[in-house]
Amino acid sequence: MNSLDPLFAPRSIALIGASPRTDSPGGILLHNLSGFRGDIYPVTPAHREIRGLTCYPEPAALPENVDLAVILRPAAEVPAVVAGLRNRCRYAIVVSAGFAETGRGALQEELARAGHEAGIRLLGPNCLGVFNPARQLDTFFLPADRMRRPRRGNVAVVSQSGAVLVSLLEGLAKIGSGVSRAVNYGNAVDLDAPELYDYLAEDSGTDVVLAYLESVGDGRRFIAAARRLAGRKPLLLLKAGKERSGQSAAFSHTGRLAGRYEVFSSILQQNGLREVGEFEELLDGARALSLQRQVSGARVCIITNAGGAGVLAVDACMRGGLETPPLPRDVLEGLRQSFPPFYAVGNPLDLTGQVRDADYGKALAALRDHYDAFLVIALTGVAGVTLGLADILVKFRAGISKPLVAHVAQGRLAGKLEKLLVKSGIPAFPTPERAARGIRLLLGGGG
Amino acid sequence: MNRARAQLLTLRTATLGRGSCLEHEVKGMLAKLGLPVPRGCFITTGRPLPEPLGLEFPLVAKVTAPGLAGKSDVGGVRIAIRDGADLYRSVAELSAIPGAVGVLVEEMAPPGLEVIVGGSRDPQFGPIVMFGLGGILVELYRDVAFGLAPLTEEDALRLVRQPKGAQLLDRFRGRPALDMPALVRIMVAVSEIMATGMVEEIDLNPVTLYPAGAIVLDAKLRFRDTPEVAHNPTKEEENMATWKCTTCGYTKEGRCKPQKCPQCQSKGNFEKAE
Repeated sequence: MNSLDPLFAPRSIALIGASPRTDSPGGILLHNLSGFRGDIYPVTPAHREIRGLTCYPEPAALPENVDLAVILRPAAEVPAVVAGLRNRCRYAIVVSAGFAETGRGALQEELARAGHEAGIRLLGPNCLGVFNPARQLDTFFLPADRMRRPRRGNVAVVSQSGAVLVSLLEGLAKIGSGVSRAVNYGNAVDLDAPELYDYLAEDSGTDVVLAYLESVGDGRRFIAAARRLAGRKPLLLLKAGKERSGQSAAFSHTGRLAGRYEVFSSILQQNGLREVGEFEELLDGARALSLQRQVSGARVCIITNAGGAGVLAVDACMRGGLETPPLPRDVLEGLRQSFPPFYAVGNPLDLTGQVRDADYGKALAALRDHYDAFLVIALTGVAGVTLGLADILVKFRAGISKPLVAHVAQGRLAGKLEKLLVKSGIPAFPTPERAARGIRLLLGGGG
Repeated sequence: MNRARAQLLTLRTATLGRGSCLEHEVKGMLAKLGLPVPRGCFITTGRPLPEPLGLEFPLVAKVTAPGLAGKSDVGGVRIAIRDGADLYRSVAELSAIPGAVGVLVEEMAPPGLEVIVGGSRDPQFGPIVMFGLGGILVELYRDVAFGLAPLTEEDALRLVRQPKGAQLLDRFRGRPALDMPALVRIMVAVSEIMATGMVEEIDLNPVTLYPAGAIVLDAKLRFRDTPEVAHNPTKEEENMATWKCTTCGYTKEGRCKPQKCPQCQSKGNFEKAE
């Protein structure tokens, strides 16, 4: 059994601050939980029943053994609510804001004490809580028509910021990636990134973890947990607050150069942890790593139907520390024989605008044993590229365990082909650089 | 680390009441920890030059003035001193600099690759170590990397490989590779000094590296106002265990077995996990 299961996969939820009003957080949350597979206990003194569910007037009136409580009451009341949950539940999500983030540090300490004394583990305060599509668990107070939820899948998202989490989840929904668990821990009065990482390391439904951070309380504890997680599955970290921030008044060069971010980034690197530079990279990483497995290697073969896009892909591979070595001589000769003379046989292998789907298959079959990964560029502005290409690529992939990533663009067909590829387990990207980034992540290393 | 602690205690006692330590005091401590520093002699302002000096020309002379940030900025350094007359004149001039308490005379080290090895305290990570290229120009290039103190030799090797200019440590344009074991010894020593928890900041800058050997040319150190207990995470982690409550599954990290479960309140039900 995993210790945070009651938080991520509760069998029962108490909602403290439930409401029938569809425009209030308590009402939205009840609505969002309408598909929840488990018991829901609304807690409010104002109603006897909401949406057919019996209401409880106060936390102490709840039955015992509730897995999770979600607290929506005003900040000042929350410590008392938590105290009232003693012997009722084991985990509570404090959605309420108005604690340390608004300068009310004393109230936050009071909350921490209340949780500790009541034996209740707390997530938040000032957080959205958790999302677990497999169990229709959704504690976000955002209406369904305002936030698109991703489908069930194998990507976990851990975010210190609620807004960034929502944007990430929408981004994942848009690119068709599915989510196993998502969590926003806000002020982290109790549960913090390290414990959440440890949980996700063990979670068999999670294959990739995207993490967004602003600060890490105890840096060493954070690094240890991140290492444990990254040892099990890919972890991509996006850290905000990159401004140069050394103590300008320090007495030593070291003190002046040791900005918070520089130190953090440097230590991540030494521990083999992967920091991404921007938001989009998290999404690209999710797309690549949720579909294919990381392998080691650096030799990339680029097969394209446009010279320019091929060269851009080579540039991006080089920048990412990958290699694009030339074709072996015998393979080169063989391909020259079988392709029209105006195809540019090399790496990148340019099949030109005269390409037919089958040419990609022929090239891949000839090159499969000579490279660690394949980047296929199919610009669908030319007539010879059709949706049939997806089949060819999928068949090729079925026989090998090497990464194969596509860059697909131009015209209406591109969108269709991209979707088809993603559905068949081939990450497809709208630019050559992002496709190269996908390859780099799948090749495990690279800077 | 205990050796570093003992030497730091001695240094702190000797410099009690002063915010920072003087260069020759820091270097004296480093020498006792086995780090290479130039042979030298501190001449207190107003005292005559010792006869014989016992140092080999060429020499350098540096003013020592508490609180002085940059010696070079006030013309406080004389290099390539060739003879006794030159030395006499240099010491007299440097002693006249306002605030000077003395002059440090040292044997001049041959040129090599200048690097910086430093330490400071990070609000999230505690004691850290820095390695950078560029020596005194380090703040211009900002080509540095940080690691957690204390460092093992392996950690130190990984850390020095991180700056962009790390290739300069290898065979470069006809010059043999530089003495990595010597650099690693310095890094590990600085990391142990930081790991005692007694020091706020330390700069060994520049440290000059040679194909055989290394030498610490300048050193600064500032003690913490309120030293804490030593930071020794490797040891801590070794002793840490995860304890699991057999009643409710609550887990807790700690060195000792918890008596009572904070979650289900049951007593004496903890077992070591994994």
